[in-house]
Amino acid sequence: MKHGFYFKIASQNIRNNMRLYFPRILTEAGLLGCFYIMITLSLDQRLSKALGGAYLSAFMGFGAVVIGLLSLILILYVNSFLMKRRRSDYGLYNVLGLEKRHIIRVLFTESLITSLVSVLAGLLFGMLFYKASSLLICRLFHADAVAGFYYLSAPTLAIAAVIFIGMDFFAFAVNSVSIMRLKPVEMLSDRHAGEREPKIKWFVLIAGVLSLGAGYAIALTVRSPLSALLLFFAAVILVIIGTYCLFVTGTTFILKCLKKNKRFYYDRRHMPAVSGLLFRMKQNAVGLASIAILATGVLVMISTTVSLYSGVQDTVEANYPQQLYLSAYQKDGGEIRQISFDELNRIVMEASEDNGVEIRSIENTRMLIVHYLTRGNALLTKQEFEGSWSPDELTSAIYITEDTYQQLRGQTYYSFDEQNLDLNGDEIAFCRIMSTVHDLGDAPKTLTIGGKEYRVKHLLSYFPVSSNYGNVVDVVGIVVADETVLNGIYLAQKEAYGENASEYATRIAVTFADEEAMKAAGTDLEHDIVNRLKIAFPGELSYTLDTKWESLHNTLDMYSTFLFLGILLGFVCLFSTILIIYYKQISEGYEDRERFQIMEKIGMEAREVRQTISSQLVLTFFLPLITAAVHTVFAFPILLKLLKILMLSNTMLFISCTLITLAVFAAVYTLVYLLTARTYYKIVH
Amino acid sequence: MEILKVTDLKKTYTSRMGGAQVQALKGVTFTVDSGEYVAIMGESGSGKTTLLNILAALDEPTSGSVELDGKRLDTVKENELAAFRRNNLGFVFQEFNLLDTFTLRDNILLPLVLGQMSVREMEGRLQEVTSMLGIKDLLNKYPYEVSGGQKQRAAAARAIITNPRLILADEPTGALDSQSSAELLRVFSRMNENGQTILMVTHSVDAASHANRVLFIRDGVVFHQLFRGHASNEELYKKISDTLTMLRTGGDRR
Repeated sequence: MKHGFYFKIASQNIRNNMRLYFPRILTEAGLLGCFYIMITLSLDQRLSKALGGAYLSAFMGFGAVVIGLLSLILILYVNSFLMKRRRSDYGLYNVLGLEKRHIIRVLFTESLITSLVSVLAGLLFGMLFYKASSLLICRLFHADAVAGFYYLSAPTLAIAAVIFIGMDFFAFAVNSVSIMRLKPVEMLSDRHAGEREPKIKWFVLIAGVLSLGAGYAIALTVRSPLSALLLFFAAVILVIIGTYCLFVTGTTFILKCLKKNKRFYYDRRHMPAVSGLLFRMKQNAVGLASIAILATGVLVMISTTVSLYSGVQDTVEANYPQQLYLSAYQKDGGEIRQISFDELNRIVMEASEDNGVEIRSIENTRMLIVHYLTRGNALLTKQEFEGSWSPDELTSAIYITEDTYQQLRGQTYYSFDEQNLDLNGDEIAFCRIMSTVHDLGDAPKTLTIGGKEYRVKHLLSYFPVSSNYGNVVDVVGIVVADETVLNGIYLAQKEAYGENASEYATRIAVTFADEEAMKAAGTDLEHDIVNRLKIAFPGELSYTLDTKWESLHNTLDMYSTFLFLGILLGFVCLFSTILIIYYKQISEGYEDRERFQIMEKIGMEAREVRQTISSQLVLTFFLPLITAAVHTVFAFPILLKLLKILMLSNTMLFISCTLITLAVFAAVYTLVYLLTARTYYKIVH
Repeated sequence: MEILKVTDLKKTYTSRMGGAQVQALKGVTFTVDSGEYVAIMGESGSGKTTLLNILAALDEPTSGSVELDGKRLDTVKENELAAFRRNNLGFVFQEFNLLDTFTLRDNILLPLVLGQMSVREMEGRLQEVTSMLGIKDLLNKYPYEVSGGQKQRAAAARAIITNPRLILADEPTGALDSQSSAELLRVFSRMNENGQTILMVTHSVDAASHANRVLFIRDGVVFHQLFRGHASNEELYKKISDTLTMLRTGGDRR
C-alpha cells in the first residue's frame, strides 16, 4: 500500500478526534517548553555570569529532571486514555481487512504526526518564553537584564526534542504491544464488562486513616525547627499514602453509609448522585488523589517560595544587627592562639579608612559557645546524657564574663536590665535569646552546667551578644562572674567533647555609619581586611568574615532561584491538574451518557438530570481542592518551623502568601472546572 | 372504558437537508380499552417504533392526536411531561435499560423515588410487585449479576410499580432466549389478569399470541386486526402466522 494512504488515514483520524488530540498536543508542547527553559537556564553561561548565582544552574537542573519525570507520567496517562477511546476504531480497521501490522503503521503515523507537531510547538514555545523567563529571573535577582539577551543553542534544542520524541515513541510501543495482543472482538467492544460494586477494603481504610492521622500529628506536634526538618519528608509521605488510601476507600465508605440510611438515600435528589458517585469514585479515586496531591504541592511550593522571597530583607535584617562580623585565631602547632581585639580592631579600622567608609561602632566579644542537651534544669554534654535524645532537646549556650557584659552593655541603648550584675562564682545571669522549645522553662531558679549547680541571680531580657547562629535550636545567653568560672566551663566541655569541643570565640561586630556607602565598598573592603589579616599573621590562620551584604546577596540568590523554580513547577503542576481534569470530564461524559439517557426515559426531568450531573461533578472535582486546602492548613505549623531554619519568622507574611495562593489557585481551578463541565454536558446530551 | 385513543396519527420526517420527506405514519387510528392486552405487529420500517415514541410522549406527531384517559398528550406542558410519563406510563424496553450503578431494588424503586414516595410505602409496593414477578431474592444483585430474563422481569417490575394506566413494551422479548421469553410472557399475562393494560410492540409471533388483540401495521397504517375471542394461545399463534403470510404475499384487505 502507498505511503500516502497511511498519512491520509492518520491525519484524518487526528482531525476527527481533535477533542482528544488537541489537549494532548498542547500538554506535550507546554511541558517540553518548560523543560527546555529549565535546561537552557541551567546551561546558559552568560546568564549565570550576569547574575553570579551559583544556585541557579544546580536547581534548574533539578527542576528539569522533575519536569521530565512528570512529563513521562502524564504522556503515558493521556496515551492510555486516548487508546481506550480509539481502540474500537482500530478494531474496525481489523474487521475491514487491515492486518495488525497495517494498523500499527497507521498508529505509528498518527504518533509521528502528533509527536512532531507537539515537539515543534514546544520548542517554539520554549524559545519564545525563554526570553521572558530570563527577564523575570533578572528582575527577581535585582540584576539588570542583559541587553539583546538571547540564547539559542542547538544542543539544548536537540536534547529536549530527543527526550520528548523518545517518550512518545515509548507510548507508541506500549500501544503496539496492546494492539498485537488484543483480538478484533476485544478491540471492538470497548464497553467495560460488568463493573463490580466497589467493596470497602477495611485494611486500606484503616491504613489510610492511620497514616493521614500520623502525618497530621507530626505536622501539628513538631516542636523545634530541627525536628521539623528531620520529620518533614516522613510527614509528606504519610499524608500522600493517607490521601491515596482514603480516596480509594474512604469515599466508598462514606457513600455506603449514606446508602444505608434509607431515608436519606431514597430521595430523588440523593439516590442517582450517591450511587453514581459510588461507581465513579472507584474509577477515579487514584486520579483525584493525584490531583489533590499535585494541588497541595502547588500551594505549598508557591506560598513558601513567595514568602521567602518577599521576606528576604526582613530575614537578613533580623539576623544581622551589625554589618560585619570578624573572628580569627591562629593555630600554632596544636595550640590555639587568640588574636587580640586591638589587633582586629586596628585592621578593620585601617581597611575601612582606606576604602572610605566610616565606622560608627565596634562591638568586641570574647565568648564561648557550647552545644548541650537539656534535661530538667541541666545543660548536659552528650557524654553526661543517658538514653536517646531528640532534636528538641538541643540547646546552644553563649557564655560571656561579667566584664564583657559591662563593656557591651555600655554601647547599647537598651537598659531595662540591672547595670551591675555583681555575680559570685556560683551565680549566673540568664537570658533566653532564641526559644523554640521551652524545656528549660522561662525563669529557672538554678541551672546545672557540667555537673555544677549555679544560682540564677538575674534574668536578663536582653543579651548584648547578638546571635547569628540561626533559629534552629534554642539559644540561651549566660553571664558568668569571671574568667576563672568561664575557664572551668571551657575545660569541662573540652574534656567531654575532646576533638569536637568548642573554642573561645573572639568576635568583633562592626556597625558602619552609612550602610549604602559600605555596600558600595563591599567586596573591596572584604578583600582588604583579609589581606591585612594574612600579612599581620602569617602562618596557619583561621578566620570567619561574615557580612550583611554578602548574606543578602546569597540569600537573594537562593530565594530567587527557589521562587522561580516554585513558579515554574507550580505552573507545570497546575497544567497537569488541568489536563487530568479535562480528560476525566470527557471520559466520564462518554460513560455517563447512556446512564442519563435511561433516567430521562424512565421519567426523570431534564432539569433533575442536570442537577444530578452537576452535584456529581462538583463533588468529584472540588473534593481534591478541599483536600489540598486542608492539607495546606495542617502543613502550616511544620512549614512555619521549616521557614524558621531559613530565617523567616514573619508569620503574617506567610499566612497572607498562603491565602493569596489558595485564592488564586481556587479561582483558576473553578475556571477550568466550568470550561470542562461544558464539554461534559455537551457529550452527555 | 377507553384508556387510549389514537386518532388519525401522522408523522412525517424531513431529512436534514430539507430534501426527501418520509412518511412514517400515514394515519393510524385505534383505541385500547382498560384491561386490554394489545400487541402491535409489523416488520422493520413499518412505523412501529415511531408510533411507540409518540405514545410515550417522547416524540410529537405531525398531525392527529393521542388521548390517554381522555387527556390529550399535546396539552401536557413541556415541564410536566416527565412527571406525566412517570405517573401514567410504564416502560419495558428491548435492551432492559437498567442502570448498572443501581441494584435491582434501586432500579425498581427509581420511579417511586422520583415521585417522592415515603420509604415505607415504597417497600410495601416493592414486596407486592417482586413477589408477583418472582424476583424477590434477587433484589440486592446488580444487573450484571443476573440473567437477561431476570433483568427484563426487573424492568417489568419497575414499569408496574407506579400502577401506571398503561404499560408500553417495546420488543420486550427481543433480547431473550426462548425460555426467558416464555417466562416473561407469562408474567405479562399475569399482570394483565390483575387488570393491567398492556400495549406491546413486537414482531415475535409467539409474543403476540399471548395478547387479547393483535394490530398489524404496514407502511404507516393499521392494516388489519385480530381478536383472540375464545382461541387458545396456540390457535391465535396459527391465526397470526396466517395473517402475516397473507400480508407478505400481498393481500389487500382490511
